[in-house]
Amino acid sequence: MEETCRVLFLPDNRYIVVPRGENLLKAAMDADVHVNASCGGSGSCGKCRVVVEEGEVEREPNPKLSPEETAKGYALACQTRVLSDLRVRVPIESRIGDKRIFERREPVPAHGHLLSAADWEKRLPHWELNPSTCKVHLVLPPPTLDDNVSDAERVKRGLAMEAGLREVVIDYPVLQRLPNMLRQSDWDITVTVLDSGEELRAVRIEQGDTTKRQSAIAIDVGTTTISAELIDLRTGEVTARASDYNAQVAFGEDVITRIIYATRGTGLAKLQSVVVGTIWNLIKTLVEQAGIEYCNITHLVVAGNTTMTHLLLGLNPKYIREEPYIPSATFFPWIKCSDIGLRIAAGVYLYAIPCVASYVGGDIVAGMLASGIFNTDKLTLYIDIGTNGEMVLGNREWMLSCSCSAGPAFEGGGVKHGMRATRGAIEQVRINPGNYEPMIITVGNRKPIGICGSGLIDALSEMFMTGIINEKGKINTDLPTDRVRATEGGAEYVLVRAEDSATRRDIVITEVDIDNLMRAKAAVYAGIEILLSSVDMDVSMIDELLIAGAFGRYLEVDKAVNIGLLPDIGFEKMKFVGNGSLLGAHLSALSKDMLEKANEIARQMTYLELSMNPAFMEHYLSALFFPHTNLDAFPSVKEKLEARRKVRYAGGEAATAREVG
Amino acid sequence: MAFTLPTETAKGKIREVELGAGEKARKVGGETCLPFYLWEGEMPNKPLVAAEVMDEVGELVPALEKALGGVKDDPVAWAKKAVEEWGADAVFLLLTSTDPKGTDAPADQAAETVLKVEEAVKVPVIVYGTEDLEKDAEIARVVSTKAEGRNLLIGPAKEDNFKKVGAPAIGYKQTVAGMTPIDVNLAKQLNILLTNLGMEADKLIIDPTTGALGYGLEYTYSVMERLKIAALFQDDSMTQMPMLANIGFQAWKTKEAKSSEEDYPEWGDPEKRGIMWETVTAVALLLAGADILVLRHPESIRLVKQLIADLSG
Repeated sequence: MEETCRVLFLPDNRYIVVPRGENLLKAAMDADVHVNASCGGSGSCGKCRVVVEEGEVEREPNPKLSPEETAKGYALACQTRVLSDLRVRVPIESRIGDKRIFERREPVPAHGHLLSAADWEKRLPHWELNPSTCKVHLVLPPPTLDDNVSDAERVKRGLAMEAGLREVVIDYPVLQRLPNMLRQSDWDITVTVLDSGEELRAVRIEQGDTTKRQSAIAIDVGTTTISAELIDLRTGEVTARASDYNAQVAFGEDVITRIIYATRGTGLAKLQSVVVGTIWNLIKTLVEQAGIEYCNITHLVVAGNTTMTHLLLGLNPKYIREEPYIPSATFFPWIKCSDIGLRIAAGVYLYAIPCVASYVGGDIVAGMLASGIFNTDKLTLYIDIGTNGEMVLGNREWMLSCSCSAGPAFEGGGVKHGMRATRGAIEQVRINPGNYEPMIITVGNRKPIGICGSGLIDALSEMFMTGIINEKGKINTDLPTDRVRATEGGAEYVLVRAEDSATRRDIVITEVDIDNLMRAKAAVYAGIEILLSSVDMDVSMIDELLIAGAFGRYLEVDKAVNIGLLPDIGFEKMKFVGNGSLLGAHLSALSKDMLEKANEIARQMTYLELSMNPAFMEHYLSALFFPHTNLDAFPSVKEKLEARRKVRYAGGEAATAREVG
Repeated sequence: MAFTLPTETAKGKIREVELGAGEKARKVGGETCLPFYLWEGEMPNKPLVAAEVMDEVGELVPALEKALGGVKDDPVAWAKKAVEEWGADAVFLLLTSTDPKGTDAPADQAAETVLKVEEAVKVPVIVYGTEDLEKDAEIARVVSTKAEGRNLLIGPAKEDNFKKVGAPAIGYKQTVAGMTPIDVNLAKQLNILLTNLGMEADKLIIDPTTGALGYGLEYTYSVMERLKIAALFQDDSMTQMPMLANIGFQAWKTKEAKSSEEDYPEWGDPEKRGIMWETVTAVALLLAGADILVLRHPESIRLVKQLIADLSG
């Protein structure tokens, strides 16, 4: 008989029985206990640290753990096998952040302007509340020997006469319920009709008049976060909002890891059911918050990047990853929610905003719709900075898009103490130029655990401006402070000392981290330059720069310009869109015209494949410098640097140069 | 109507950098046109041909042994011969003795050699270490100090030791050659780093790293040409430094230059072959925009100087 062991996870206080020899990370996964794991269990990220408090395990030696830590019981869950009953504690730094992030007020950016409702009105053309589904209340004349058409024909005739809806196709499940429903309700019914753009389809039949109860849900399916809104379709008002992590995060943080997972065995079905699970929980929350019935919901509009859309719809994403990078589809039909395992109510259909290419998805198309770029003469650059930096340049006449792989550095990946913007993440950094002492603020004002994307950009900018790092990102170890130190793996700057951190370890920024961030920012900036140069333009011609994505909400624009992530075109031209993807889904849920507009945008947008572009490498290499090899493109940074240098020379730097000799 | 040749006038100008001090001083750079496009601008200073001298050598190929005669083990005599007999415009002194992988001679001792050579010749002296980051920094420190005021061209400063090479050069008024691995952006970045350190922009020379004929010459050519175009036509101030092409070292280590006649009878006379390999590489890089050419063989020096004179009209 197979030997089994009982593994208890603290502080969740949840246990699971697994076969002896089971991998501890797998056990945690099966027990629904979250342990951070960004490398998919390869032992390379070192983030899945757990403490084995009791019991026997077999662990692979790993350089991510020091001998002292191993002695204290620390282990990397993915490199550990269960040999007996265990008690395992998941320490604070290995746990996913709690959901407090979503309760935070959106901070007002230091510079730049968050688009308000009034701005939206100006940006978008006139549109009417005219959703893709409508409810029609019918009181039909009962059949007689003279008027003896079938029940279905009677309903169709009613729809044509009452609402002008001709040639409606009746969905098969509706047909099945029709005869009894009509007679039970005494021929007083409400029919929900979906206008798919190609045909009219009766998707639901209800007793009596339910036209006053109709809602839609708009969903942004992000790689990391899923956000949803419940919209009352009679008023167009949002009646509830909810967000949660995409539960697929447990299977890899970026789209590539997920595609790989999806192509193995039943991976695709697993990922689909996991994301559907997250969406279902959000819908439950929305319905409870708003106090409505599930059957009020008549349709859903989702916007996600190409991979997320594929995974949600259960489409094979394999070829997105392989040259020549072909998605299964970019336009998707209205599909029944129940077909993807989302059972909300009878006859609820879902529309996915179309994608442009493998790496420019429906989230960007939705963002283009919401930000009104299709409706302006201004030359607009729209940037969504995440793991992939996606960007679109254009106006009402043309749109050119590209996607550059920035890597996960801005989301905390590939950075020693990087993390997402959850509680305990350092999100703002200032460094005193006199004594190099930092000032930090964390999310939730807790003891710091690590550094999130905006914190990293802040830190980099401050380190550069105070001369802790040079233009190449190399740390100056000659500075008179012990915060800067040389180690075997290169120099590092101590942002938080062990005694101040929640993890009891120094939180540092290493030269390797800086290198990774430098590469990420260079990829984004090179993408911007390629877009502009392929239409023979330069940054000075940009009328408006729109920054989208969750990352954009916390970004300090001037810091991003200092390090050369964003072009130096003046803060008055930069605006934050917020969650452009959700806004676009919202508009499409409210109006057939806007939904058709989204389709048009997807058809109109030109996609530039950067992997084929010989100039990309050149632009990328010149961007591997703070702020850029071509300093003249960053006049405001140049000015700041010159002022700083003057101060330093006045302080006698020139004299010390002589002492070296 | 007569046809007039269309001309392009450059927006920028290569910086004029002075090497050596006093009577020995020579200027390089200053051109306002692409190499020898004399109908579009001017080249006030002809490219400088420097003879490579080493302070310690093992066995050289027969062609070089023959040319050197008895001066091989005496860098001072070698330098004098190069200037007085071969007509070199400058001496490029490579401190091979300091190589930590070889003799690892102390920097002080090497500095003495530098001073002796400098005193023996009436032309500017270029001093290069063996591309060991730490050792080169030490040499730069000692040589800069001891040769204060002589305005040597010291190198190579690289991305990972530019501070240690640059700081003493600033303090003791020497000129610095910054070396980067055949890349426009990296060359420019190193110039920015050095000027930010406090180095005057007209105390800098770009060493873009040279590839010999058949060994990456076209790559070097294109990088040098692009640097020159950026300097002249985009007026990019951080690419406007004159360029040094270290040719002798690269050309004479190729199989084509050093193989004997016994091994490759079909390749012909090895002496002529080696000289041509060095000269052809030099001609190409001269046309790519080199302002200083470092050569080994006296015949190559003669040929290249002759060509410069011919092209300069």
